[in-house]
Amino acid sequence: MTAYLADTPVLTTERLTLRAPKLEDYPAWEAFFTSDRAQFVGGPVDAAQAWRSYGHLVGMWALKGCGSFVFERTEDGVVLGSTGPWVPNYYPEKEIGWTVWRPEAEGHGYAFEAASAARDYAFQTLGWDTAVSYIDHGNDRSVALAKRLGAFEDENAVQPHPEKPCHVYRHPARSA
Amino acid sequence: MSVSFNIPEIETARLRLRLPMASDLDAYTAFRMSDRSKGVGGPFDAASAFQSLAAIVGQWQLRGYGRWMVADRETDAPLGIVGIFHPTDWPEPEIGWSVFADAEGKGIAMEAALAARDYAYNTLRWRRIVSLVLEDNHRSIALAKRMGCVAEDIFAHPTFGNLRVWRHLSPAEICATTEQMETQT
Repeated sequence: MTAYLADTPVLTTERLTLRAPKLEDYPAWEAFFTSDRAQFVGGPVDAAQAWRSYGHLVGMWALKGCGSFVFERTEDGVVLGSTGPWVPNYYPEKEIGWTVWRPEAEGHGYAFEAASAARDYAFQTLGWDTAVSYIDHGNDRSVALAKRLGAFEDENAVQPHPEKPCHVYRHPARSA
Repeated sequence: MSVSFNIPEIETARLRLRLPMASDLDAYTAFRMSDRSKGVGGPFDAASAFQSLAAIVGQWQLRGYGRWMVADRETDAPLGIVGIFHPTDWPEPEIGWSVFADAEGKGIAMEAALAARDYAYNTLRWRRIVSLVLEDNHRSIALAKRMGCVAEDIFAHPTFGNLRVWRHLSPAEICATTEQMETQT
């Protein structure tokens, strides 16, 4: 397989490696997006739609120069989810997003560890001065993660989909 | 270190087939939101236009082939999207073409589609390529016929509807056609 996406950053944390998405990650993405666990991120969708959205995930890197990382457990290479800059042109602000693809990966702090690293990358390397996370109402796990990351709900933020308001959590820019 | 994404580029007499870029979004979004996109299942909203353009780029990474932004060779203005489209719910890879309003009626879709066909045969070494066209997309049907395509079966897609499979001239048929033309001249 020819790889056209190159020179993408790799981030490492204590337990995880964050890198650009690859074709080999697709089955785990499809399993997640076609399941009820994707209910707060636009799913569940059928496999055809999951394929298109995976292309979107990959293509974001080319169009915008940054995108969502796939994070895998360094120890065994198991792909657990995605997190990072999400910057479609139709969003009012730059977002840090996350999804945990495997149910067994929940409850271990992996998403927190990965999202922290991705956010540091956005602030320190990409030079963002602020970031938000858009979270569907009812997505209590993501709200808890946003709070754990030190984000606070910003009632005044512009909604990405005004017809369907969501929680907007704003991340404090790090000075580190 | 900055992220790079490189795909093969093709130049034709008037066109450059290149990677879609963020600067193409306005033209692409205008197309996707207009009635002109009815032939490919539209019209769509602006969010879907971004997702679609990103997915066009992403398919290159996922498949190793894909669709190009067709740009004016002189000005680099975006004129349309042409190339090999192959989502998982398609029966086989196809040459797809969409031309923006300003570029219509100038043979641009044909020029780019011929380049895409050459790419499928000469670079990818394929022996068969088709185009899937909605049964009421008369302009695209006309182009398929102009390219010498042969109508095959209907592929019934659950959301897009009935798509006719138009088989392109095979490499051997193209050779025969060329020889015939050379004999005539």
